[in-house]
Amino acid sequence: MFNKVLIANRGEIAVRIIRACRELGIKTVAVYSTADKNALHAQIADEAICIGPAQSKDSYLNVKSIISACEITGAEAIHPGFGFLSENANFARTCEKCGITFIGPSPDSIDMLGDKAKAKETMEKAGVPVIKGSKGVITSIEDATILAEEIGYPVLIKASAGGGGRGIRMVNNASELESQIIAAKQEAKNFFSDDAVYMEKFIIKPRHIEVQIMADKFGNVLHLGERDCSMQRRNQKVLEESPSPIMTEKLRKKMGEAAVKAAKACNYYNVGTIEFLVDSSNNFYFMEMNTRIQVEHPVTELVTGIDLVKSQIKIADNQKLEYKQSEIKLKGHAIECRINAECPQKGFRPCPGKIQALHIPGGPGVRVDSAAYQGYVIPPNYDSMIAKLIVYANSRQEAIMKMKWALSEFIVDGIDTNIEFQLDLVKNSSFEKGEYDIAFIQNNYK
Amino acid sequence: MLEDLFKLVKTRFNDSDSKIETDIKTKIPENIMFKCPRCRHVVFEEEYMKNNRVCLACNYHGRLSAKERLELTIDKNSFIEYDSEMISKNPICFPNYDKKQQELREQTDLKDAVITGEAYIRKIKAIIAIMDSRYMMASMGSVVGEKLTRAFERATEQRLPIIVFTASGGARMQEGIVSLMQMAKTSGAIAKHNEAGLLYITVLTDPTTGGVTASFASLGDIIIAEPKILVGFAGRRVIEGTIKQRLPDDFQLAEFMLEKGFIDMIVERKRMRSKVSHLLKLHGYTAVEN
Repeated sequence: MFNKVLIANRGEIAVRIIRACRELGIKTVAVYSTADKNALHAQIADEAICIGPAQSKDSYLNVKSIISACEITGAEAIHPGFGFLSENANFARTCEKCGITFIGPSPDSIDMLGDKAKAKETMEKAGVPVIKGSKGVITSIEDATILAEEIGYPVLIKASAGGGGRGIRMVNNASELESQIIAAKQEAKNFFSDDAVYMEKFIIKPRHIEVQIMADKFGNVLHLGERDCSMQRRNQKVLEESPSPIMTEKLRKKMGEAAVKAAKACNYYNVGTIEFLVDSSNNFYFMEMNTRIQVEHPVTELVTGIDLVKSQIKIADNQKLEYKQSEIKLKGHAIECRINAECPQKGFRPCPGKIQALHIPGGPGVRVDSAAYQGYVIPPNYDSMIAKLIVYANSRQEAIMKMKWALSEFIVDGIDTNIEFQLDLVKNSSFEKGEYDIAFIQNNYK
Repeated sequence: MLEDLFKLVKTRFNDSDSKIETDIKTKIPENIMFKCPRCRHVVFEEEYMKNNRVCLACNYHGRLSAKERLELTIDKNSFIEYDSEMISKNPICFPNYDKKQQELREQTDLKDAVITGEAYIRKIKAIIAIMDSRYMMASMGSVVGEKLTRAFERATEQRLPIIVFTASGGARMQEGIVSLMQMAKTSGAIAKHNEAGLLYITVLTDPTTGGVTASFASLGDIIIAEPKILVGFAGRRVIEGTIKQRLPDDFQLAEFMLEKGFIDMIVERKRMRSKVSHLLKLHGYTAVEN
């Protein structure tokens, strides 16, 4: 096992990884930007190294600084968390070259799955259902027009290098096609420095259901059930739950097997997530695979009893999976609400600032993953998530009640948060009935 | 700072327009707790009962049934009851009076608001009368007056001391003028007992008021009261309304009455038996050996 692991991330996920390392008896190195001098992860790790100024590109995305921090502290492995460098194949490759274990999949897997069009092609070949769309990137408006007619409007134009909902355009008819492709390309270029876009069929009222997988370096792949992440705002997940309220044992098996197939198709190891869209007839389509730990991983941890972060480290340490597929049983129900420092009344504008007072809910089945503390000043430079509130109970109904109370008890003073908004969601009768799709927030909230 | 914010928690959880359910479904039996009418302390009924119905916080001496009082006062199995079957008529045809009495008889196992008889207190023979406030607040009607009068007459006849434990809301309005007449009748019998040179002890218990205070309760040679009990004629509110003045807080409490000279001593319930027997002894009544 590693003696020392560097965590190339910040916020609650850095804290989560430090905690997992502690449990495994591994020393930890935190890296931080000048804006994060007082951040929790920098305080609680065994060592903390400043890797640059506040801007992400100069610090948390600064490969050279991070590798140097590894070198001077003697860390043998790097856990990238999510976001930042977590899905950067070049970074993983650099680690490899430097003899540092990248706690994640191989650079080749990242490469293949990071290119949405290439990933889709691979999945289709492997027999994983995919959404009808362009084979690879759109090369000309003419081809796109023919293809769109073939698969039928509405269609979506997506950035190949995209993620987090950026660079996605919907096209309702042929007259919009050209302008939307141009807009998508522009956006893709701005966000991802790559203007490659592809086209796919737009699924009406789909649910976003993803399957967690776990694979070792010896070809063993397991799926750990699903997470329903349909509660999204502008393609950003807001609330996640496991199991999905629409899931059947049969569908889970089918999706799970497809996910395993997908992972095997790209020689995947470590944990990963295959995102599917599920239509109202329970047809599911591969969307993309995330080659990292997910924000919403705790809901799976709670219903399976498996620590995914610790598993990541063990897999990176060349250990075999400790479970067989038949041993994976989903028990109970877990819900996660992302608590963001943002103001729902002002268009969810981020609200960085000082947390004057903080009360975190507790009790059985209530888990809070957070890097926030009373007096902490949330810097404006990074994302606005300040905590993940996760509840676990025997039934979905019980979990909803628990979440309602836990949210009610969650007090953050000094900054605006989306707690009330989350409460509104969990109190919504459609949510209570489990009847919601990815457009729910868009349709019910301005 | 957080203290103020916690107010938010419940309003968040309950939708702001929903009211807290006030339909109380849990039924706590009424006899679990006792709330002291003097100090407002709430104690478990069981503890209060174990303490012979004396408030553990303020020493208020609560109301006992006649039977409980008897057990605390006299020698075991020494009571011979007089006139146990005596019941009243409905002299002024007061509506529902008979029905109410019938119900109370079933509830309390009493025929009316007083029991009388002879008994031994630490082996000294005496006549004893005990009023029971559970029966129409021990109001004095024809039966109460008659039973007491007969008890005094027997005491006079047998040259025995008499101890009356009073408790009453006053004259019984359901019997109208007949109940008022009981004041004079009992007072007459007491006068004869007194003329015979015999000892009459009254023990005022909670509450002793109205016509009873104005007659036999105040005629004892020795007037004892239990602590913190209510003793008076007219009620506090009536007096305040009449004289347009606020009365002191302890007005009509035993301690107030002692200070003003209306009663001779305050004796705690646990010492009552020994105090009464001692007084009997001091007045020349002697114990008999069985």
